[in-house]
Amino acid sequence: MDAVQFLQNFLNGISIGSVYAIFALGYTLVFSILGIINFAHGAIFTLGAYLTYSLAVGQFGIGGLLADLQLPFQFSFTISLFIGAILSGMAGVLVERCAFRPLRTRGADPLLALVSSLGVALVTVNLLQYLVGSEIYSFPSDVYGDIRPAFLLHIGEKLVVVRTVQIIIFAVSMVVLALLGYLIGWTRIGKALRAVAENASTASLLGINVDRFILYTFFLSGFLGGMAGSLVGTSFGIAGPYFGVSYGLKGLAVIVMGGLGSIPGAVLGGMVIGLAEAFVPSEYSAYKEAVAFAFLFAVLLIRPQGLLGSSQIQKV
Amino acid sequence: MDQFLQNYGFLLVTLVQQSLLAYSLYFPLMAGQLSLASPGFYALGGYIAAIMATAEYFAPWRDALGWGIFPLGWLAAGIISGILALLVGIPALRLRGIYLALATIAFVEILRVICLNLAITGGAIGIFGIPQLFESRWSYIWTFGPLLLLILCFSYRLDRSRVGRAFKAIREDELAADAMGINPTRYKVLAFVIGAVLAGVVGAMSAPFLNTWNARQGTFDASIAYLAYVLIGGSRSMWGPLLGGIMLSALPEILRPLKDARLIINGLVLVFASIYLPQGIVGAVGSIRNFTTQTLGIGRSEK
Amino acid sequence: MKRVLLAVLPVVMFAAGAEAELVGAPIPIGVGVAQTSNVALFGQEQIIGAKIAEKYFNKQGVNGTPIKLVTQDTGGDEAGAINAFQNLISKEKVVGIVGPTLSQQAFGADPVANRLKVPVIGPSNTAKGIPQIGEFIGRVSAPVAKVAPYAVKQAMKQNPNIKRVAVLYAQNDAFSSSETVTFQETVKNLKLEMVTLQKFMTTDTDFTTQATAVLGANVDLAIISGLAADGGNLVKQLRQLGYKGIIIGGNGFNTANLFPVCGKNCDGILVAQAYSPEANNPTNKAFVADYRATYKKDPPQFSAQAFTAVQLFVEGLRKVEAATKKKITQLDLSVVRTELNKALREGSYITPLGEIALDKEGEINQKTFYVSEIKMDAGGKVGKFVIVK
Repeated sequence: MDAVQFLQNFLNGISIGSVYAIFALGYTLVFSILGIINFAHGAIFTLGAYLTYSLAVGQFGIGGLLADLQLPFQFSFTISLFIGAILSGMAGVLVERCAFRPLRTRGADPLLALVSSLGVALVTVNLLQYLVGSEIYSFPSDVYGDIRPAFLLHIGEKLVVVRTVQIIIFAVSMVVLALLGYLIGWTRIGKALRAVAENASTASLLGINVDRFILYTFFLSGFLGGMAGSLVGTSFGIAGPYFGVSYGLKGLAVIVMGGLGSIPGAVLGGMVIGLAEAFVPSEYSAYKEAVAFAFLFAVLLIRPQGLLGSSQIQKV
Repeated sequence: MDQFLQNYGFLLVTLVQQSLLAYSLYFPLMAGQLSLASPGFYALGGYIAAIMATAEYFAPWRDALGWGIFPLGWLAAGIISGILALLVGIPALRLRGIYLALATIAFVEILRVICLNLAITGGAIGIFGIPQLFESRWSYIWTFGPLLLLILCFSYRLDRSRVGRAFKAIREDELAADAMGINPTRYKVLAFVIGAVLAGVVGAMSAPFLNTWNARQGTFDASIAYLAYVLIGGSRSMWGPLLGGIMLSALPEILRPLKDARLIINGLVLVFASIYLPQGIVGAVGSIRNFTTQTLGIGRSEK
Repeated sequence: MKRVLLAVLPVVMFAAGAEAELVGAPIPIGVGVAQTSNVALFGQEQIIGAKIAEKYFNKQGVNGTPIKLVTQDTGGDEAGAINAFQNLISKEKVVGIVGPTLSQQAFGADPVANRLKVPVIGPSNTAKGIPQIGEFIGRVSAPVAKVAPYAVKQAMKQNPNIKRVAVLYAQNDAFSSSETVTFQETVKNLKLEMVTLQKFMTTDTDFTTQATAVLGANVDLAIISGLAADGGNLVKQLRQLGYKGIIIGGNGFNTANLFPVCGKNCDGILVAQAYSPEANNPTNKAFVADYRATYKKDPPQFSAQAFTAVQLFVEGLRKVEAATKKKITQLDLSVVRTELNKALREGSYITPLGEIALDKEGEINQKTFYVSEIKMDAGGKVGKFVIVK
């Protein structure tokens, strides 16, 4: 591989890696607070993509029950992305209410929370299929306004190409990461969240309303999941309601890679896996889907706490 | 009767087959380990049997063994699944918690991608024209049925054995079990391997039953389905997986007229069952019986 | 103590004696395709095509006796297909079955029908080996081996300077991976240079690797064998990155589902077609008119093939009546099934797919294929396949 090819792969990798990062952050936030993996996260990813699509295009469905249902309004892409993510965050809160809280208040086996979240995922995905059909939804190419679709960089004889969408994805992800970093590191809410993650019972003794912070966490998680779904959707289209499932599974590899519950770990893990996938030569692209999971295995063997995780592994 | 078996024979055998797959998840759960690897071993076992039954290389074996190639396929599937389970299980089971579930999800996905790409597994189309053990679908009860009886006997004995008690001790409290001198990793790996061998053998039996085999047999969706069988049936009783497997795999057929809404209802069942039936149906029936015996003094059974 | 009742199923086996049983009226024809799961999209198009055929052919019926379609959902898996086929055969007592949707399902369910001696016509099973499952299995979905050369020649007519070619295909799709072999041979025979061969998966969404490789190879023609979702996405990403050359799509591109995926970037793609709504024969015209009246667009290939499958059964039944000189409803079900299977393989049919016939094995022998160019409207939403001569 020459330097130009390397640069091309690197650019492709950090763009998709940045989305993996914000998506995986949603998983990791919930894990850090509850010690549970929310399997509905992949479904929220899909939901977010559909919501943003509807708001930006002003139409609900191509197929399904809501086929050709027009919305009375239509927003610009930026606003749609934001509202879509907020609605996804609210869906995240709903997931907490339905699938997690009843079990938590009873002190049930954490395995059950896993099953109930899988149940919610199943309902969401199939409800979506019922409502909007299994057609492919593709954002119109002028969704960002009238800008060129790609940038071409000539380096000697060689060519490096970057789609505008890739740049937008990367930029939006970076902004989101920076804001989240600020929220968690420098604000009162962030401090309280960290306290709850550290030890929920101590936090509640300190007068922190733990239930409320769990809700905040789920909102943030849903927000990030929906945002990631929308970004991926604008780049590659929404390939039917099952579209989030493979991202959901890949996200698991990302958080194990970075260290379960570690926020910087999720970002690093996302970047590593995004880059690793981008560097798979195209002859072997059929094996690309397995790269993230091969990493997961390697991490379990060599460094089970993940790249940036703490060494103690207790939570279920 | 003949007509009935013509119509529903395939479905009845499917119920038994799905229950068996539920048991492959039940054994690791007995030791408190959530394994989602069953579809992987199921797919692997099916491929092994399908390749042995169709590949050119095995032709002399088939000529020599006749129908004996089928039991040999089950054996090979069981052994290879067991060995692979050791390789997957040991690194994942040194760790406590969710790691086994994650490692097994990864295992299923990696295996699926590999099977989709190899020539020997027939790529996307898979392997077809698998020779038949029986003419009618219903007759396959003669392979799955005895296996189910065997597994029921095995579970019954396991429940009452030292190994079974060790499994449960680890499920209740791994640290305490460790302190009592039980080696948790050893027993966790054992439970995982038992489940894997079972799934592999069921896969090997299923390949001729379904006539064809492909990479779509082992998916994450299937993992969820098997998990649901066990948890909704009841993960703490040996009858749970049987009940859950039969009920939930019959459900889609019963709900056939509902079409798309079918899977939505499946999902709702999962949510409600985990919230309201944490011990599964068998557990719930048990606690109702306890309630009636203790509080009302009726239906007291001799102890 | 626990008292366990083991309900051992009574395993009484009766000798499978075929009782004499007449065919019901109206004559039941089974349609077992995917109405749920993620292949439902195709299955629903097939149901529509079959229903139009039912309406169209019931104007005369089988010499006066109407037919009745019985549909069963196969879902997307093999077990579902076997269940549906069993239901159709033993409960609904159909004379023949149209289905299933996927080739993989056909390998699971067709042997069941074959053993019970029920004729099956696959409307969309394109994998190698389907008609060879057994003597009762046929199909109306052709591998478009013949059309590939025309598509490439058409591209060379548009740009005679084509030299360097990129070939891309979905390797997890059975049809695409056999179609690409034909394309590659054509490229070789026409003395063009295949400079890059790229693979992808139908489940992929990110084609950056493939697209950059094609651009890097500096080609004049890209030939893609894939399905609507992945193929369309690939075209879109290729065009966005600035690929200016000609694109040929395989038969997987022959669906309007492609248009929303690549939008205005679909414009100009040359598509190899096994079905064209513009095919000029009375059956197709009636079919297209009926479809347009309800759905306000051109019928897709899946609907046309399902229509054709039902047509073959109806015409086959008529032939059975002519040969036996008896009404179908006076004949034994098992006799009708066997005779129908024989009749299907005789003579040729004028269908929406043009003139076709089934050979002895049940493989389709299709006379006409088409090459069309996609024309998108200015908004990039509505598209049309226009036959190029």
